Amino acid sequence: MEDSNSQISEEKNPAAKLRGVGDSLWVTIDAARSTEEIKEELDTLFRKLDHLAKGSRVVIDSGIRGENDKLVELLGQFLKENYQVGSVSLPPDNISNSEIRLRQRDLDRSWYQHSSDVLMLTGRVRSGQKINARKHLLLMGDVNPGGEVIAGGDILILGNLLGTAWAGQRGNTESIILALDFKPTQIQIAGYVAAGTSESSGKYPEFAHVENGTIIVEDYIEANPFGRLPWPKVR
Amino acid sequence: MEGKIIVITSGKGGVGKTTATASIGAALALEGKKVAVVDMDIGLRNLDVVMGLENRIVFNIVDAVNGKCQTQQAAIKDRKIDNLFLIPASQSDNKNVITPAAMKKYCVLLRKEFDFVLLDCPAGIEQGFENSVIGADQAIVICTPEVSSVRDADRVIGLLYAKSVQPKLLVNRIVPEMVERGDMLSHEDVVDVLSIDLIGLVPMDESVIVSTNTGAHLIQNKKSKAGQAFRRVALRLNGNADLPIEVPQAKKGFWKKIGFGLGRNK
Repeated sequence: MEDSNSQISEEKNPAAKLRGVGDSLWVTIDAARSTEEIKEELDTLFRKLDHLAKGSRVVIDSGIRGENDKLVELLGQFLKENYQVGSVSLPPDNISNSEIRLRQRDLDRSWYQHSSDVLMLTGRVRSGQKINARKHLLLMGDVNPGGEVIAGGDILILGNLLGTAWAGQRGNTESIILALDFKPTQIQIAGYVAAGTSESSGKYPEFAHVENGTIIVEDYIEANPFGRLPWPKVR
Repeated sequence: MEGKIIVITSGKGGVGKTTATASIGAALALEGKKVAVVDMDIGLRNLDVVMGLENRIVFNIVDAVNGKCQTQQAAIKDRKIDNLFLIPASQSDNKNVITPAAMKKYCVLLRKEFDFVLLDCPAGIEQGFENSVIGADQAIVICTPEVSSVRDADRVIGLLYAKSVQPKLLVNRIVPEMVERGDMLSHEDVVDVLSIDLIGLVPMDESVIVSTNTGAHLIQNKKSKAGQAFRRVALRLNGNADLPIEVPQAKKGFWKKIGFGLGRNK
């Protein structure tokens, strides 16, 4: 099995990965890379295996079934010639559900190759104070009336929002503003402005987002805006 | 022992800084401390009037800070309380005649001379505020239960933290009847937003206006609820920090009193 730690330390995902599944060797390849790159990676992997590779069953998984059959065939030939592997096959149908493979790839890659730029703060933004975050802003604390929080992306306030908040400063209408107690003086998302109300449910966190050209405030738990995403995405 | 310099500030005007300065100063003096109250509102002085000492002013804070007189010459002894001194503001200058650097130096002198120095800060956050805060060890932020006052107090608290002065909150002019009806912010609402330690809650009191006009000390009026509240603030400042904070209560109506009496007689 692969050592997950070494995977984390990799800057780029390797062109090919190897793990043992049942009685076979499961090779996951990145079809986006050049054939040479993949072959090189397979060389290093299989050289380490030495005699274990001989006569073994190999499954080559290129992600989406049916798209890279030629490549898989080529690589199978390559492995048979150089390392005397027993059989080369495509992954069985039930696992090779393309959705699952895609999800796995996204999971594998996004966490290590991307990172979100978040300014994370604790404390209280008082009247006259201004916080400016390049991208997202996460504040564990409160924003008092007269305090201002501005972010290029989302604004998440784990506390009371009583002041002014401006999310998506550079025009990102996808941005949201969330607060556990949502009572802002005024909010802006990208170019849209809304005057705040002093009413809030007080019980549930609420968030503001842009829908059909206006700012809408909803109960975050009930609306669950990101709950229907098929898998976690980098924001 | 070196004295303590406490600045009394609010941001917003007319919330009771001067009354609080005079009352807390007087109460500390009655506790046996040597106290100076300093009017920092140069150009708009009025602490002298509140204390009834306007006819004795010869030198003022500007003279003292700029070395034109000794502190003893500028400090006017109170008429009724022995240990209480007033250093008045100048009425003719503006706030820029004192620089923060000079004020900081002068605060060192004041600390040697007095046990407590209360600086009555002008409204606003301009140079008068800078001058008052620069040499202070501690601050009392006065706030009334109004949204505008809370907003300004919040701003001032931020500035005080930036200058490493520890602020304490005094909520002034509470009308318990209005709080009970929900027509006025309660002190809890104010503390929720400002989130600093309380040093006192002072109710609205007509006797404040009477004593301000006559130059009598509010705290010597034993019937004045505001006066007694200020006295307790002074006790807390004078090492008695654990003195519980009394929440102003609405007066019980006549009929309620009767009913209570009858109930007990049974």
